[in-house]
Amino acid sequence: MSAIGELGRLKGRRPAPGRRENRAAYAFLTPWLLGLFGITLIPMAAAFWLSFTDYNLLQAPGWIGLDNFARMLGDARLHNSLRVTFTYVLVSVPLQLALALALALMLDRGVRGLALYRSVFYLPSLLGSSVAIAVLWRQIFGADGLVNHVLGFLGGEGRSWIADPESALWTLVTLNVWTFGAPMVIFLAGLRQIPQMYYEAAAVDGAGTMRRLVRITLPLLTPIIFFNLVLQIIHAFQAFTQAFIVSGGTGGPADSTMFYTLYLYDRGFGNFDMGYASAMAWFLLLIIAAFTAVNFLAAKHWVFYGD
Amino acid sequence: MSTFISNHNDGGPVAPDRTRRLGARTGIRAAALPAVLALALAACGGSGDDESDRTSEGSGGDSGSQEQVDLRFTWWGSDTRHQITQEVIDAFEAEYPHISVQGEFGEWSGYWDKLATTVAANDAPDIIQMDEMYLREYAGRGALLDLHTLDGVDISAFEEATVATGEFDGGLYGLSSGVNSFAILANPSIFTDAGLDLPDDETWTWEEFKELSVQITENTDDGVWGSQSFGNEQAAFTTWARQHGESLFTADGEVGFSEATLMSFFEHMTDLRDAGAVPPASVTAEENSAGLDQGVTATNRVAMGFMWSNQLFAASEASGHELVLLRMPSQTGQASDNGAYYKSSMFWSVSSRTEHPEEAGLFVDFLANHAGDILLAERGVPPNTEVRTEVADQFNPAEAAAATFIQDIGDEIAEAPAPPPVGGASVQEIFQRHCAEVLFDRMSPEDAASSLSSEISSAVSR
Repeated sequence: MSAIGELGRLKGRRPAPGRRENRAAYAFLTPWLLGLFGITLIPMAAAFWLSFTDYNLLQAPGWIGLDNFARMLGDARLHNSLRVTFTYVLVSVPLQLALALALALMLDRGVRGLALYRSVFYLPSLLGSSVAIAVLWRQIFGADGLVNHVLGFLGGEGRSWIADPESALWTLVTLNVWTFGAPMVIFLAGLRQIPQMYYEAAAVDGAGTMRRLVRITLPLLTPIIFFNLVLQIIHAFQAFTQAFIVSGGTGGPADSTMFYTLYLYDRGFGNFDMGYASAMAWFLLLIIAAFTAVNFLAAKHWVFYGD
Repeated sequence: MSTFISNHNDGGPVAPDRTRRLGARTGIRAAALPAVLALALAACGGSGDDESDRTSEGSGGDSGSQEQVDLRFTWWGSDTRHQITQEVIDAFEAEYPHISVQGEFGEWSGYWDKLATTVAANDAPDIIQMDEMYLREYAGRGALLDLHTLDGVDISAFEEATVATGEFDGGLYGLSSGVNSFAILANPSIFTDAGLDLPDDETWTWEEFKELSVQITENTDDGVWGSQSFGNEQAAFTTWARQHGESLFTADGEVGFSEATLMSFFEHMTDLRDAGAVPPASVTAEENSAGLDQGVTATNRVAMGFMWSNQLFAASEASGHELVLLRMPSQTGQASDNGAYYKSSMFWSVSSRTEHPEEAGLFVDFLANHAGDILLAERGVPPNTEVRTEVADQFNPAEAAAATFIQDIGDEIAEAPAPPPVGGASVQEIFQRHCAEVLFDRMSPEDAASSLSSEISSAVSR
């Protein structure tokens, strides 16, 4: 039932392919392999090496050992960026998943025009991390934006949401929650896989809607929830475009939208401090790995695979 | 799972990723260009002539066949500047048909990130519009070519002092493209709306400036203020420091101001805000990421904005009103104490990795000596004295006003401030951030002063 379980089974069943098949497989994989090595693995390895250097983009890097990592300990702006990023991840991901699940449950009841709703709700996920949407967000939450016009119409008082350090981050949280479509579609697929007979049996036993939700739907959906959780947390840690565009690349006002990735970018490309930025990139990888590991460990206690 | 992650990847934890992607994109474009040109040439040919003959046709008496050369030229600026600069490129290409120049331009914000990325990816544009803040940053790290080594660049008509602004370590790394000064751009139509006259800028003090601004805010509609916030721009503090007998940096690249002066700068900024002389903090914060065309001055939301004298034309165009230049207020009421200075508005630099230094030099020479009638004073008063006299009568009213202003303050200004040392590129960002912290009351002027001083010291000492 879970994608991960399915993978495990496939691996076990597969016969060893012949050499010719192997070659064909690699031929088909080439475009993907090029990407994997060219823009993921090799740059990652390079960044790992650079993280021990004082590379400034324009001159050859020089080895400085662990200096970059030592500097990170005392960098107040880095600590602020961690605070901002953790707030963003820990607030927006649960909200986004809750909204995705709620809508999936609603749509799963067999609404007319399901395909249309599904597409409409999914759309923000496709666009959410694009520059265009971030520009749109800027307009909506700006001093002269849509939100203020609506507020003004209702008699409320407007302000520039993106230019106020108190509210700027929350406009980005809202943006992330709004992209609930991708997890929603996965939830919908998961809901479809729960056998109807469980519900029929429960109905015969006199279980109400709420009880069926808590006793049947949620437990059987936990692998999907887990999958979405892991994915969305990783995704949220890597958020960059939104903050970059909405703050005009500054992480402002007053560093209130200075995501970790944005600070990394600012160090590397704005301040010619690429060695430090590389160290930061590897530290981010460690943070994400730690979060994912904790997620997998905790999963043993709440994820139900049904077999 | 990694496939999923890379599908969603928009920030990427691995920085060089970004370099490579951006680099690759421009690389492809640059590589495609000759191919397209070759196709176009092949298409209009057909008579079987030698290809190279045709490409060198009309190249102004140059003998023999010449190879087609593609140059890339990058600059920042407003819409007005983009149009003017494109005209210069067209004129240059008409004179040198074997060289084609591709313009790459954008707003100030974003320009430097992009430049750093392309330089790091070994894909730097050949000719680069440079700012004083970054000149040493790039030149000190070997990214720029010494223009003295290029035969094509004739600087004989430049004043020595102007050339010197781009000279250090024995080389000329940037050729001044204009002279300007940090000043006030005033909007007479807002003064009229407020029922007030323009001030006498040769005698006014900050106190008078504040009173006037408050009056304008009170006498005009909501959403219009007397003045832009005096902060957010390192030039504002440079001016303030000079008014107090100090400077941002000393000649040997050390911090040249006291924390007390910096604190008074922040206090002055909050004082103007509390009095209602300037817009609230959030409007000022939005300003940081807005281009000139969307700024409070160009959109007629303030009667007085702090800008560079060469921006008079662009800001007037954007605002639809004829703005006028005013001198900075001073502490003493004497214009000679107002801290003003001449600055090279920007420089022309050539990448040290250009494949065509000779042609790039030709283009810089064209910009410096032969494009005056197109460039006029949009990038500041022409530093080339011959060009300045030649084209003075072609200046539009705004440019003429800026040139007159530069001329007029000549007797009042003192020595130019020392250029920022390596690491100085982050100063502007440090200022903007601390000004925001103070304006939003998240830091006291005192804390901000000590935090800013220490950040700047560590930025330039690294």
